[in-house]
Amino acid sequence: MKIEDMKVEGNNARFVMSGASVTFMNALRRVLMAEIPKMAIETVEFHMGSISDENGKSFESTGPLFDEMLAHRLGLVPIPTDLSLYKFRKECACGGEGCPTCTIMFSLNKKGPCVVYSGDLEPLGDSKLSPVDKLIPLTKLTEDEAILIYATAQLGRGRDHAKWQVTHGSGYRLYPTIKVSKAKCEGAKDCASACPKKVIAVKEGKAQVVNLEACNLCMACVEACEKGAITIEGDETKFIFQFETDGSLAAKDALLYALGHLESEFSALHDSIGEMME
Amino acid sequence: MIVPVRCFTCGKVIGSSFEEYKRRTGEGENPGKVLDELGLDRYCCRRMILSHVELIEEIMHFD
Repeated sequence: MKIEDMKVEGNNARFVMSGASVTFMNALRRVLMAEIPKMAIETVEFHMGSISDENGKSFESTGPLFDEMLAHRLGLVPIPTDLSLYKFRKECACGGEGCPTCTIMFSLNKKGPCVVYSGDLEPLGDSKLSPVDKLIPLTKLTEDEAILIYATAQLGRGRDHAKWQVTHGSGYRLYPTIKVSKAKCEGAKDCASACPKKVIAVKEGKAQVVNLEACNLCMACVEACEKGAITIEGDETKFIFQFETDGSLAAKDALLYALGHLESEFSALHDSIGEMME
Repeated sequence: MIVPVRCFTCGKVIGSSFEEYKRRTGEGENPGKVLDELGLDRYCCRRMILSHVELIEEIMHFD
């Protein structure tokens, strides 16, 4: 297996892998989506009754959204996660009660009229734990409305709930091979205008491939060419793999964790089969 | 009612893009160009912003 053209920057990753198979790429894709842990808000405690500000003005703890809907929206907010610092609650030394190695606490205190943003979530402790994206609107409050919330985040995996899914848009495409027969091509430009990704351009009276990796094998150019000058094939051993993260983990960390997870799963299988064979 | 936090299909966070999209298209910018610059490449994420109707302003006065 060989990796070319590796671009892993910030939250985005893209690389071309040759000498692989569909099953291998799919294993990587599934681990990236379902197995990487990250922090997300799991329990939310709402303050009920009236809330007073420092001037003695009283606010009702209501809002236009139902509490469960707001709790759901809070869960979806990405929280920066350093995987070396946190443990799953079940595996934590505190026995699942909640301690700084398995839980992050947040408070949210806002008085209307205002828009409540994800950036208003204040972590108890390190300010680095505040949500990556501070501009997600969570709810809106009118005059005399206020909310006071305590939320706890814990580790989870994408297979349990979408709020714990680290990567999205993760997938692979077969690497395209486009052949233009110079003898048959008459420079009719039909192929270039049919291509939705602008892969083909007509230069000096002949069709030429100008942006090969953008091709998604849709075959629109093959159908458009009346002379049958274009053939397209996907290489089943070479893939373009790409994914992005929601910001809770960097793409590099997600990819390294995914590969490490695949390795440890298979070595565990290897060990248990080894024991049975003895 | 209020803009969803994430794209229903792929899960990308799109809630934070809506206010900027609304402001910039209100100033007369091309919607497609604004979506490109907000990093919404896939059509699932683009439709989330494009088809959203912000009704919460209407409803919030009646609760």
